[in-house]
Amino acid sequence: MADQGGSQHGIARTSRVRSEEQKQRDLQRIQKYRELEDQVRSHVSRADYSPQLFQLTSKLLRLNPEYYTLWNVRRRCLISGLFSRPSAGSSCSTACSSTFPTATTTQSSTSCSSSSSATTPPAPGSPTAGRSGTTAEPGAAGAPSGTFASDDPAQAPAADSTDSATAAAAAAAAEQQDLATIQSELSFTIPLLLESPKCYWIWSYRQWILAQAIARLRPHVARQVWEAELGLASKMLGKDRRNFHAWGYRRHVVTQLESAALRGASMVEAEFEYTYRMIQTDLSNFSAWHSRSKLIPRLLDERGADDAARRAFLDKELNQIREALNVGPEDQSLWYYHQFLMLNLVDPDKHPAMTRGIAAGDRAAYLAREIDEIKELLEDYPDVKLIYEALFEYTLYLCQLEDRQPTADERADLAAWLAKLKELDPMRNGRWADLERECGL
Amino acid sequence: MSENFKQLPEELQLATSAHVKYIQSLDTRKDEYDYWLTEHLRLNGLYWGLTSLHLLGHPDALPRAETIDFVLSCQHESGGFGAAPGHDAHMLSTVSAVQILAMVDAFDELESRGKGKAQVGKYIASLQNRQTGTFAGDEWGEEDTRFLYGAFNALSLLGLLHLVDVDKAVNHIAACANFDGGYGVSPGAESHAGQIFTCVAALTIAGRQDLVDKERLGRWLSERQIAGGGLNGRPEKKEDVCYSWWVLSSLEMIGKTHWIDKDQLIAFILRCQDPERGGISDRPGDMVDVWHTVFGLAGLSLLRYPGLEPVDEVYCMPKSTTARVLGR
Repeated sequence: MADQGGSQHGIARTSRVRSEEQKQRDLQRIQKYRELEDQVRSHVSRADYSPQLFQLTSKLLRLNPEYYTLWNVRRRCLISGLFSRPSAGSSCSTACSSTFPTATTTQSSTSCSSSSSATTPPAPGSPTAGRSGTTAEPGAAGAPSGTFASDDPAQAPAADSTDSATAAAAAAAAEQQDLATIQSELSFTIPLLLESPKCYWIWSYRQWILAQAIARLRPHVARQVWEAELGLASKMLGKDRRNFHAWGYRRHVVTQLESAALRGASMVEAEFEYTYRMIQTDLSNFSAWHSRSKLIPRLLDERGADDAARRAFLDKELNQIREALNVGPEDQSLWYYHQFLMLNLVDPDKHPAMTRGIAAGDRAAYLAREIDEIKELLEDYPDVKLIYEALFEYTLYLCQLEDRQPTADERADLAAWLAKLKELDPMRNGRWADLERECGL
Repeated sequence: MSENFKQLPEELQLATSAHVKYIQSLDTRKDEYDYWLTEHLRLNGLYWGLTSLHLLGHPDALPRAETIDFVLSCQHESGGFGAAPGHDAHMLSTVSAVQILAMVDAFDELESRGKGKAQVGKYIASLQNRQTGTFAGDEWGEEDTRFLYGAFNALSLLGLLHLVDVDKAVNHIAACANFDGGYGVSPGAESHAGQIFTCVAALTIAGRQDLVDKERLGRWLSERQIAGGGLNGRPEKKEDVCYSWWVLSSLEMIGKTHWIDKDQLIAFILRCQDPERGGISDRPGDMVDVWHTVFGLAGLSLLRYPGLEPVDEVYCMPKSTTARVLGR
């Protein structure tokens, strides 16, 4: 299975022999850790999802954010009491929550309160079922009175106007309570994320909390919560430009901010601009180039771009990547994006966004020009293998596009480039040999 | 790399007995803080350790009865397994449980003393998103192609793949494909060697390798090998032993292992060993752990390093196990 954390990355190997002092210190830490853990398990075994248990999870998660079960206990504490009880007619409508694909809490009401849930969590239902099922029945065993809103008058159906005014006030209070809880949870995870930016469980918990905002708050209130998340994604990407958790989180946040549930509109222009800024900071950031490749089709559609506008867009992208390659021809990230642009030319059925209106002959002319430009790179960089690889590949693309075999001159070029590839990049000789055979060189 | 194990120069010797001892020592380190901090990975760790021992040719170096007892002690009523007693059920630990039971040939004990195969299958199937076809890790809904692969891995070992919508899952994987031939965590996500392994292996289990752009993917994967012989997981990133598995197994599945320099990769993995105290690390000179140990050894096995048991490139288990369980 893939990395779940807990493995050692980049930590220098030291002697595994500990001094007596270190051993004692370890034993003390173990004792403290296990005491906390025992307390958590004691509460859980009684299905006592109380504020005390909630606070214990805070302590233990700060020591070990990889402890996924604790994040689940924390969720159960929130559902069992710290969140308000959703009521009919409150802002927590199934309509708004059902547009959120990962808001999945399939806990049935009994699952949080029955004593059997302590050691045996309920069988989960389909993760898409019960999206708004973050309910805890009134009187749930895990909910002590006092701190919890079990006497919330909003639970009662509104019978007349006085009652409905009371219900509205209760709904407003409930929303305040939930907003405060959500914001507190978001704050709690930030230092943990900064310390463990690749911990899946923290990111996933944060997404769950945000889903609660959609399920529990009115859209404009929830939207404010979500909007702040873009800042977090940018902050995390500022610290590690390639962190795929943070990129994924950013995509998720944008998708939600664009959704009807948050009264959103397209953010494709702003996100495209963001990739540009990231690339300006670091040309080698393939994550940003990748993101660009994914945004372009939507961007052009939403701009209502006609064929000429699309072609102009392609020209601009080509100029940009060519300039980058002029200074960094050894950078794989740049060549991958260049390949993406070439694929638009050679396979417009699959990648039509920029090239749908360009006739086959013109597309071939584009490719030929690109090949010439890349040949010029060789004058300054005669020993960069990626240049030869691009020349080889694009020449084959050109033949494919023109539905012909390579000319004698092209064959000579291909053979020469391949010889250079073998010389510069013997690690991949197996691949060069396959290409040689396939092309009959 | 071939001929006789004994004829290899010293720096290319695998420290087999040190590795076996290292793995055997893992469950005796209860006076170390890290032992407790990693309890949420215990069942995964047992799978990594046991697989390592099988590949090293010492399948009996951990006691079988205790192994089975421990695995069954992690099972919940739902059929799912947690990482250890007291930990919630999760796809990742459930898959490890099934793989361990497969390796020690104990599915019968799952029937007689555990909740039974059918209940495990039901748990896993309940985590499929019936709209998109992908899978969640647990009831809280985190979705990732890792979980989809895990589901296919475990269900196929149990003979219960029919419990899920395979076609829909396959469509989801296809939606995760990128122009570079690779796959990401979810649709729209950047290609990543770990996710490529999960997607290509899931497609292989489903018999749908026809969806893979083998030329383009093979090229991307082969470019993961960098100076020094190690493999990275994405362009312009550092090398790491665990990618000896994710990249190499993917190359093996699409028949392009010869597109990288195998000898250099073998030498890189061996440089990451701790020859005295056992274990393999991410890079030379770093701390070892059982996770890098298994993926280093599995990589060496795929590279036909002498003396290692053959590994199944789809399941990351001994081929002898998958041959027995899958009847092939």
